[in-house]
Amino acid sequence: MRSTTKNPLLKVVILGDGGVGKSCLMNRFVSNQFDEHSFHTIGVEFLNKDLDIEGQTYTLQIWDTAGQERFKTLRTPFYRGSDICMLTYAIDDKMSFKNLEMWRKEFAYYADLKESNQIPFIVVGNKSDVSSEAREVSQLEMETWCNENSITSCIETSAKSASNVEEAFKMAVQHWLRLESRADINETHVNDTVDLSKKIGDSNRMSCCVGGGAAGDDDTNN
Amino acid sequence: MNQLRKRTDLLGIKLLYKENRISKLLKWNGNRKKSTDSRIQQVDNGFFEKFGSLFREQAEMAQAREQEEQQHVAELAAQIAPKDEEEKEEEPETPPLVTADSEASSSDSESEKDDFQADFLAAAFNIDELYTEMLYVILHNVGCDVAFEVGQTALFSYAQDAFKIPNSKHRQLMDVAEQKEDPELIINVEVIEAKELRAKDANGLSDPFVTLYLASNTSHRYNTSVKTMTLNPIWEEHFALAINDKSVNDTLCLEVWDFDPAETVKEKFGKFFEVKGVKGMSKLVKEIAVTAATGQHENELIGVAKIPLSTIPASGMTMWYTLDKKNKVTRRGVLKVRISFSSGKNNQVAGQEHRHMRRIILLHELEVSKVAPYWWCENFTPQADQLLTQHVAQSGLTQTEVALCSYSVYAGIHQKHPLSFGLFSKLLEKLLKPLQTEIINEEDLKLFWEATRKLLPSCLSIIRKIRKKTTNEKTIMKQVMEVLKILNYIITLGPTDIDLFPSNLYPWITFHGNGPNCDIQGALRDAISKGANDWLNYIIENNTENGGTSISKLQNLIQMIQLIRSDLQKAIEYYDKFFIEHVNFQYAKCLYTFYQARVATLCEPDVREICKNLKTLDNSDYKFGEGFVNEDPTVDPLAEGTSLFELYLAIQRFVTLGQGLCPADYNSFHIRNFHQWFHVGVATWLDIAVYKALQRIEKAVELDPLVHIDSTVKYSSSAVDTLTIFYQVNTFWQQLNWPDVEGCYTFIAKIIDDICQCCVSYAKKMAARVDGLGHIENVYEKKFEVTTEWCLAINNIDYVRETLEPFTRDLGMEDILKKIMELKGPVDEKRCRDTLNTVISNAIDTVRNAIVELLETVVNKMIPSMKRLLIEGAELCDQDSNCIDRLMMYVDENLGTLNTELNEENFNRILEIVWESLSETINELIRNNLENRRPPSFFSNLHKTLILMLGVYKDPSDCNSCDALKRTEQVLRVNALETSDLIHEVHLELADKFDQFTESPYGEISFRSKFDGDTIQIEVINARDLAVMDSSGNSDSFVRIHLLPEHEFANVEKPKTKTHHKTLFPLYDETFTINLTPAQREIENGLVLLSVKDKDLLGYNNQYIGETFIRFRDIPCTSESLSELPQVKKWLGRPTSFDTDALKALESRQGDKQAKEFLKKFKNKITP
Repeated sequence: MRSTTKNPLLKVVILGDGGVGKSCLMNRFVSNQFDEHSFHTIGVEFLNKDLDIEGQTYTLQIWDTAGQERFKTLRTPFYRGSDICMLTYAIDDKMSFKNLEMWRKEFAYYADLKESNQIPFIVVGNKSDVSSEAREVSQLEMETWCNENSITSCIETSAKSASNVEEAFKMAVQHWLRLESRADINETHVNDTVDLSKKIGDSNRMSCCVGGGAAGDDDTNN
Repeated sequence: MNQLRKRTDLLGIKLLYKENRISKLLKWNGNRKKSTDSRIQQVDNGFFEKFGSLFREQAEMAQAREQEEQQHVAELAAQIAPKDEEEKEEEPETPPLVTADSEASSSDSESEKDDFQADFLAAAFNIDELYTEMLYVILHNVGCDVAFEVGQTALFSYAQDAFKIPNSKHRQLMDVAEQKEDPELIINVEVIEAKELRAKDANGLSDPFVTLYLASNTSHRYNTSVKTMTLNPIWEEHFALAINDKSVNDTLCLEVWDFDPAETVKEKFGKFFEVKGVKGMSKLVKEIAVTAATGQHENELIGVAKIPLSTIPASGMTMWYTLDKKNKVTRRGVLKVRISFSSGKNNQVAGQEHRHMRRIILLHELEVSKVAPYWWCENFTPQADQLLTQHVAQSGLTQTEVALCSYSVYAGIHQKHPLSFGLFSKLLEKLLKPLQTEIINEEDLKLFWEATRKLLPSCLSIIRKIRKKTTNEKTIMKQVMEVLKILNYIITLGPTDIDLFPSNLYPWITFHGNGPNCDIQGALRDAISKGANDWLNYIIENNTENGGTSISKLQNLIQMIQLIRSDLQKAIEYYDKFFIEHVNFQYAKCLYTFYQARVATLCEPDVREICKNLKTLDNSDYKFGEGFVNEDPTVDPLAEGTSLFELYLAIQRFVTLGQGLCPADYNSFHIRNFHQWFHVGVATWLDIAVYKALQRIEKAVELDPLVHIDSTVKYSSSAVDTLTIFYQVNTFWQQLNWPDVEGCYTFIAKIIDDICQCCVSYAKKMAARVDGLGHIENVYEKKFEVTTEWCLAINNIDYVRETLEPFTRDLGMEDILKKIMELKGPVDEKRCRDTLNTVISNAIDTVRNAIVELLETVVNKMIPSMKRLLIEGAELCDQDSNCIDRLMMYVDENLGTLNTELNEENFNRILEIVWESLSETINELIRNNLENRRPPSFFSNLHKTLILMLGVYKDPSDCNSCDALKRTEQVLRVNALETSDLIHEVHLELADKFDQFTESPYGEISFRSKFDGDTIQIEVINARDLAVMDSSGNSDSFVRIHLLPEHEFANVEKPKTKTHHKTLFPLYDETFTINLTPAQREIENGLVLLSVKDKDLLGYNNQYIGETFIRFRDIPCTSESLSELPQVKKWLGRPTSFDTDALKALESRQGDKQAKEFLKKFKNKITP
């Protein structure tokens, strides 16, 4: 009775405009299902999922939120205490990408983040299954934005084709792990910080941006 | 163990106290020492009590609260009212026609003043004439009431006063009046009916008619029509008789006659048969006689009524008169007449004259009597009354005309000096019928509406000032009622083409029609709104914020809503019925419609603003033992939220009131969605609630004496306190009564999540609280003992955990899901349900883990003591040690405590953990001590102890950790064996293993065997498919027979077969007979080993092909010949690994020669 719940618990919040596929991402990840005609989320939705990373099982408590403005007051109470925040947009929807900034701020405000360095954000560009004509946000744009906002993890996924979905969550957890360990290290080795402002490709950078499955890129520099 | 048996009883109790949880919870809280409670409350100044009290009172004492509030409101209103008066009293000098807002009153008073003055000038212009007329009236007083009521002199002096005429002028005008001609007076007579007339005709009836004339002029007669065959005729006929001289001694004569048409005697006789009775007969005879005698027809007088004119009052009268006849005493019947005076004056002139007179007299009366405003009700002094009555009589004004005059005059005066509304409503009542039915001339109609226009402002003013506290409630209510009556009459009489509500007079009336406004209903509605608005503005102005903080802002809003609610309450209780009854107007509803809009516009911006700026609480700032770090000690971040919540409740109740009051319009009210203004606030309230809850939990744990609350339960105060806190959170939620389903759902998710956080926090604090307890240290030993406190801590957490699910039920989760089902359908319902269930089960799991963690902590604390005793016991067992006893005692005591205190579930859980840990500990002991080459006796003792403990505490059937324990036990058993036994163990294991074979690369052997007494006979028959051992592809095999265990059969030979060369299918066909001692025969687990080997050329190094084992117990015990028995075939096998407990144990016995040699041989046998 106690075996499963002994795992470390991580609270994950998925944010992003309505219709970018937050619920789909979660459902694909948790139950490997995809429903093209899924409804709007009412306020919040909550699911558990265990995830193995390097031999350790982590229990993710995933709060999926409603992206519509009218739900704002209903979702924001759930931000506090999150370990990971997944900022989601759809690559065929420029607006949803532009709104990432708003989402980031909303989360930072309501989660009462103190140290900006410790923001456990990961950026997810969903719907990577769309045709290249429909694409409105390039991977470079995503990486640039992440870079500007000191976000080191980003990935393109497709809840529809199941591409990169589990990877996204894994990346999120790994990102969290790095932040945790860095927090530990920082206590002893103050100098051992990573300069995040350096360019992509810099070998020191702990970047783990991963291309969309449709593009078929190599999973690069980490 | 007794404890185990007690379990069931405990379970029974457990069930019992589960059922009564909430009621007991409350009871305990009630019974508990208040000191603890209050100390916990001190943490946050009774935060939940404030919230909670609102709820409880609302739920249980709504009525009481209502009253209390009303009282409060009344007090508030009382504080406001005097000020109100002061403000109003500042303008009494200006004509108090409308005492409302200054701009309106000044404007309308201006215009009205002009009007009035003009009126007055007109009056002054002919005041002399009027006065002369007045004197003339006095001089020619008519009616009976002249002389004795008021003397003429008194009347003159009164008139002089009223008209403010100086003496000289009086005399001058008196002369004029005296020289004027006598008035032409007319007496109006209405002959109405007669009753009980005397029968004059033979048929017992009469055919009556009336003749009337004045005694002074008998020749001038008037006759009514004849009513045939009746004794109760009704005429209702009018006559006007001129009074020529002014003598009051004249008499009005009324004669009632029986009509007799001219009949002949013969005709009369024709009636003979109509005659009734003897009397009738005699009458008829008499009649005939008279007719016959006179030869002429003659009417017969029934009776006469003589009325001296001096008995008739000036105002006229209606009266029954008894009829008389000369010399007759018998009753003749009674006659009803109405008599009044009138004049031949022009009606218009008379009316105008009368109006002026009435005005002057009334003004004089008011001046003299100093009657209070709104009080005067046509109570003239006798002089005034007589003057007016005389004038009416002498001018011949009708009742309607008089009423119209009065109405007009009073309305005019009412503007300056308010008169009683009852007066007007009575006048209107009088006028209602005439105005509706009679033909009234244009001018009079105009007069009426002009007067009405003058009257209306004060009427509406009363409606507007309905809240004024100057006069007592009864008066106000009476006034309102009269005003409503007035309005109703006006509505009934309307509409008119006169603009009743000129916009310069009523800037607040919202009339959108064209032309004159005579929409009284509309004006009434506007007046109500205006009144409410003025009142509300006054409250707001006088409620100016103290310091302008958001809290004071909120408090003001709350107060305002309370005042409004009490105003509405009054409207509903007192006024609504008047409005509906008299003008069919829904006052309270109208008022509510107005208020709801105002409340919405007043509250919404402030609420939204305050919500937006609410300071968010950061729970992560919360440090155990320190509480929150308050950054700004001057601002209480919670007070704002609390006030906001109070406002929410106030509006909520206000809205509920509206729902009942205006069910039809409710959906169009803006305020209906008030909760949306608070949207942002709710999240903060929830945060505050958690914050408070965490604070209280910490305090509750700190103050927990860790003793049972009472003898029936197994937990202590902090559990109850924590539950109380949850209950309060729930109370908060119930009170919030959030109307929006989607919001409800998410908030519930949040609350459950928060409560989980509280549970976890409670568990942590509880664990920290007991952590240092139970450690005993003295010169002899250092040990841990399970104390009641530890058990209470566990029980407390468990108790709190148990309530989680009922708690979610109480939150109304099912209701909300049902609503989502209706609103969104089953898919969303399922998703929401799943989410909530996941949150709940997560919460429960997390708390359960906390319990398990605590249980593990307890066990971990017990283990060192147990371990030490185990080691001591294992080492010293044979030397008469009591270590095992001490171990057993230790375990017994601690588990005993746990068993008594914990519930079954947790006890079983801790038992599991004990066995798991024990198993781990023993395994560790085994490992360490094998390394240290402890003798088998060490393990043997350990093994014995373990068996003993298992026997006592463990029911092996229900044991999750059984496998681990079995393993441990097995390992211990093996290690406890002496080396030779251990070797045999290896063989037994191999025997078991080989029996499993279904094929083998080493071949198969056939044999027969039997016991005959203590003798064993073995016939080795053949082998087949033997493994190839030579380069030539053959083997040179033989079979050797060993009896095992070796040390038991040391004296027994080990026979072997001949070697069969170069064949893989050797036919041995040899029988061996071995004699055993009875003891050897009975050896348990005895084995026969058939070992097949390849003969080396030199015979030194025989190669091992394979082997098989025959158990003694498998060998038949028979006297039959061996050849009769069936052949037994067995596959040959070889050991394959060292991976068994026995071999490992042997390996660990490094210093043991026997073990070493065996292992060496054994290794050689292993398949290369």
